[in-house]
Amino acid sequence: MVRLITHNLLACHAKGCTSNNFPLQLKDVQVELRDAEYNADFLRGFISRIEWPALVDAARQLGDTSLPNEPPEMMDDDFLQKLHHVLLEIHIEEGAMICPNCAHVYPISNGIPNMLLAEHEIG
Amino acid sequence: MPAAVTAANVSDDPQKYEIEHVHSVYEEIAPHFSSTRYKPWPIIAQFLASLPAGWVGLDSGTGNGKYLPLPLDRPGDVWTIGLDRSRNLLEIARSAGAKRREVVWGDVLDGPWRPGVFDYAISIATIHHLSTHERRREAIQRLLECISPLHGRALIYVWAIEQDDLSKRSITSAQPKAAISVQEDISPAGQDVFVPWVLSAQKSLKSNGARESSASPRQSPQEDDVEGTQEAKSKVFNRYYHMFAKGELPTLVSAAARGLGLDVGDPDDINQGGGTRGIQIVQDGWERSNYYIELRRWEK
Ligand SMILES: [Zn+2]
Repeated sequence: MVRLITHNLLACHAKGCTSNNFPLQLKDVQVELRDAEYNADFLRGFISRIEWPALVDAARQLGDTSLPNEPPEMMDDDFLQKLHHVLLEIHIEEGAMICPNCAHVYPISNGIPNMLLAEHEIG
Repeated sequence: MPAAVTAANVSDDPQKYEIEHVHSVYEEIAPHFSSTRYKPWPIIAQFLASLPAGWVGLDSGTGNGKYLPLPLDRPGDVWTIGLDRSRNLLEIARSAGAKRREVVWGDVLDGPWRPGVFDYAISIATIHHLSTHERRREAIQRLLECISPLHGRALIYVWAIEQDDLSKRSITSAQPKAAISVQEDISPAGQDVFVPWVLSAQKSLKSNGARESSASPRQSPQEDDVEGTQEAKSKVFNRYYHMFAKGELPTLVSAAARGLGLDVGDPDDINQGGGTRGIQIVQDGWERSNYYIELRRWEK
C-alpha cells in the first residue's frame, strides 16, 4: 500500500542520490478512500516524526486541503481526525513516485510501490 | 516426514544465486508457505508489545506479514511497514490480519527510506537467506541506518545450526562451510544448506492462480498436510539458508555497527575516548532453532 504515512518515510535510494531525494513526487496516481481505525494515541506520538510540508503538499496534490501549513500547537480531536484521514485513509493504488533529484521512477501497481533498483542503479 | 537438509555451495555471483535459490522459490510457494506461517514467536510478540504508541517501524523481509498486525491488543498504536523481495508474498501481507497494511516491494540490501526515520526495525528469518557474510553484514547495516540514531530499537532472528529436538528437520550433512570469500571478522562459522519445500502439483496451480488474481490470504493450517501425500505430482524447491553458528550473530551485528562507525556497548560504560554514537546489545539468545538479538542505538 502507499498511503501518505508511507510516502512520508520513503526516499530515493538510487546510486549516488543522497540529497534532495525526498519527498518523491506523485505522478498519474489513482487513489481510493477506505476507512481506517482511528487511533489518537498513535497520531499524537507519530506527529513529531512527520516531515510536515511534504505531507501537506502530497495531500494537496491528492485533492485534500484540510491540513494547515504548520502543525498546530493544540492537537484537538478535529485536527487529529483530519490528520488520520490524510495519513491512513487515502490509498494510492496506481501511478508512480518520481525522485525530485535524479528523476528515478518508482512505479505503484495494485497499491504496492516498487522500490527495487536495477543492478547498475544500486549504490 | 522430516525434510532433509543438505549442504549447499554458493556460486560466484551471490545475487544471481539468491534470485535462483531464494527469491524465485518464494514467488512460487507463496500461498502455501503463507498458510503454514501464522503463529508469531513469543520474543517477537513481546518486543512489539513493548513499543510506545506513535512509533513506526520496518519489518525487513516481512514475508506474509504476520507481524504487521502486532501488538494485537493495541491495534493501530504502532505502524509496521513490511518490506519484501517477493511480490506474491506482499500480495498476502498487504491484508495480514484482515486489515489493510503498508507494504513495500524492495530488497533488504537497499535503504529506500529517510535515514533514521524508523523507531524500530525487525528482521525475522530473512538475513539467513543472504549467501555471503558481506551481504548479511550489509543487510544489518541497512537496519541500523533506518532506525533513529537516538532511540531506535531492532530485533533480528536467524536460523541456528543448533536445532531444537522438536524440529521436523534432520540435518544430514554437517560439513564445515566452504570458504566463499575473505571473511576477516568472522570467527564462528555457520553452514550453507538447502532446505527443501515440497509443493504438490495442485498447490503449484493455486500459486499461479494467486499471482494472477492477487488472492486473499489462506490461513488454514490444514494446507500444510500435502507433504508426502502426492509424491508423484509434487515439486521440491530447495531454499538456500545460511545456518548460524553460536556466537556468529552478535559478532556479525558488532562488525556491521563498527563498519558504520558505531561503538558497541553500554553508553554508560564507554569512557572518554570512545565514540559518541553506538549500539547496545540488549539481549541475545537461542529460541527454538533460531538465534535472536535485540539492540538499541544510542547517541551522547
Ligand atoms: Zn534519486
